[in-house]
Amino acid sequence: MSEQEQRRTRRGRAVRWGVPIAAVAVVAGAVGAGPVIAAVQGAPALPERTAEQLLADAVRAGEAGPRPMSGTLMQTSSFGLPGLPQVTGATGSSPTALLAGSHELKVWYGGADKVRLALPGRMSETDLIVGGGQAWLWESDANKATRIKAGSEELAAHGAGHGRGKGTDHGAEHGPGKGTGHGPGAAGALPEGATPQQIAQELLKKADADTAVGVTSNEKVAGRDAYQLTLAPKDAASLVKEIRLALDGETLTPLRVQVYAEGSAEPAFEVGFTTVTFTPPAPENFTFTPPPGAKVEEKSFSELTSGHAARQDEGERMKDGAEVVGTGWTAVAVLPFSLRDLQEGRPEQAAGGEAAGDATAVADALLKSATPVSGTWGSGKVIRTKLVSALLTDDGRLLLGAVTPEKLVEAAGRK
Amino acid sequence: MRRPGAVRAWWRLFASETGLIFRRPRNLAMLAVLAFVPVLLGVALRLFGGPGEGEADGAGAIFTQIAGNGLFLTFAALALLVQLLLPVSVAVVAGDGIAGEAGGGTLRYLLTAPAGRTRLLTVKYAGAVVFSLAAVTLVALSALVVGLVLFPAGPITLLSGTTVPFAEGLLRIGVVVLYATAGMAALAAVSLALSTLTEAAVGAIAATVVLVIATQVVGAVPQLSGLQPYLLTHWWSGFDGVLRDPVATAEMGRGLLVFAAYTVIFGSVAWARFTSRDVTA
Repeated sequence: MSEQEQRRTRRGRAVRWGVPIAAVAVVAGAVGAGPVIAAVQGAPALPERTAEQLLADAVRAGEAGPRPMSGTLMQTSSFGLPGLPQVTGATGSSPTALLAGSHELKVWYGGADKVRLALPGRMSETDLIVGGGQAWLWESDANKATRIKAGSEELAAHGAGHGRGKGTDHGAEHGPGKGTGHGPGAAGALPEGATPQQIAQELLKKADADTAVGVTSNEKVAGRDAYQLTLAPKDAASLVKEIRLALDGETLTPLRVQVYAEGSAEPAFEVGFTTVTFTPPAPENFTFTPPPGAKVEEKSFSELTSGHAARQDEGERMKDGAEVVGTGWTAVAVLPFSLRDLQEGRPEQAAGGEAAGDATAVADALLKSATPVSGTWGSGKVIRTKLVSALLTDDGRLLLGAVTPEKLVEAAGRK
Repeated sequence: MRRPGAVRAWWRLFASETGLIFRRPRNLAMLAVLAFVPVLLGVALRLFGGPGEGEADGAGAIFTQIAGNGLFLTFAALALLVQLLLPVSVAVVAGDGIAGEAGGGTLRYLLTAPAGRTRLLTVKYAGAVVFSLAAVTLVALSALVVGLVLFPAGPITLLSGTTVPFAEGLLRIGVVVLYATAGMAALAAVSLALSTLTEAAVGAIAATVVLVIATQVVGAVPQLSGLQPYLLTHWWSGFDGVLRDPVATAEMGRGLLVFAAYTVIFGSVAWARFTSRDVTA
């Protein structure tokens, strides 16, 4: 082989290897380019609105009630909980699984009495179907259909109430601690109430003097042009950097809520639509007939959520002894709390079986990562996550807040 | 003038390749094992019953459905086999593709025609894809027959709790077969790329299997869950969308995109390597 031929072969080789390199580049580009393409398609032609106009319009749209729609909700949390045990497994139907990772929920909404929620798992699905005056809970892995005896209005009302409660958790405390506490009942299997609508309504009320509010009009969520409202706390002691709320440009329906922690580029908590259409869903979605061979049960709503109710009672009891130090973003809740209670497990929880076991495991893992602190008030253990700090004092108090641990220590001193 | 001749030559080579694949005793033995697994599964479930209440979780949950409808045996068998046994069979065929010829000393003779390398590579890949389709279809048919013999048939209950007619159930099985074949075809591209790197067929096959297992281990580590969407193995059993109502196409679409990306990248690696290397055997 002459020298020239060799050189040609070598060049041919380089060209040939260019093909797979180009293929890798194209694929990597396609993976990374989604957001870029959205940005380039860019500047949606939405009329400018000030924060006030937007809020007013959104509240008006909210009062008129949500429009018929269907879509896929994705919830992503990375609270930065230290060393969670294996309970955050892939099955995702355990409530503790909501503390980390991504979860998908499909929503069909045809009106107040026509709702279907589906929580897909690998080779399984949990459905809540409300329609035609009936409410059904279908669990495919148990091949079990549960008819919920309460009227659908009551169900809808309870669902909304619960959702608002949860919204407060995230708005005021962003509390991973609360997330663990969902009832062991079947209803707890669905991340209920986590629709952006409900969370957003609570957030709108919270926009206050201690918050910097901003609006942009060039967001894209689930392929739709959207306004984005940003709420940033002014107090530096807050662990929350900002909360972003995307509202659909046309219907002003909340499409996405993101909570950003101080010093991190990715949201610590996000719930939002990945796909959404504002057309009435097909009526088949709201009818359910138990399939042949399935176990059919009938339960009243209170039976189904008894564990949850017990927890609510307990919550009430705790609230009696609780006090709040500070206001707004840096409010710190002080609760009477003893470590022994937690470790022995409360009677209600013991009855709750697996879910309670999960909660205890989470608590154990958290306590292991706690760092001891002390002050003039005594000593305790502090746990810090991205959004929430908790201080467990040796004199039996639990301080919780979306603030830096220093702020908690300071609050503990103010007896 | 040259085109029709080239196409005819490709088909002639392809026919002889598929003939060789399906006449090889070891490939036939693998197909027999694949066809036997659904029989084993069906008989075991028939004799001992499905997992009891509370035992079923995750992917195992589907076994409870089989007792109610034989069609579910097909989905269960595919979900089970697609994890290891099907990939291993596909790796044996695709990994043998180039390295087997090189090891046997026949590669030189296959490459006597000009432009023969690209043609030989596409024929080898097409042969592996046909074998994947045959293997997946065989598993589905075997499971279908066993399911219909041992369990009641009739309208099929989907994961969403709705019921669809038997014929539509068959249609959905067809979609699953095509999806699983696409997943196996992506693995065949990986295996073929490894096959061009060595002259020992066993090396290419073993490397593919090790890669599959390592990927599954990575996929099972919760701390690395962020990587899952990029892993080939993660998407193989992602066909449960056809069992929902309405059919959840989004996830399967994403799976097909991942398969396409793997096929393009490793197919082009195989091509670049094979057309530029020195063939001495």
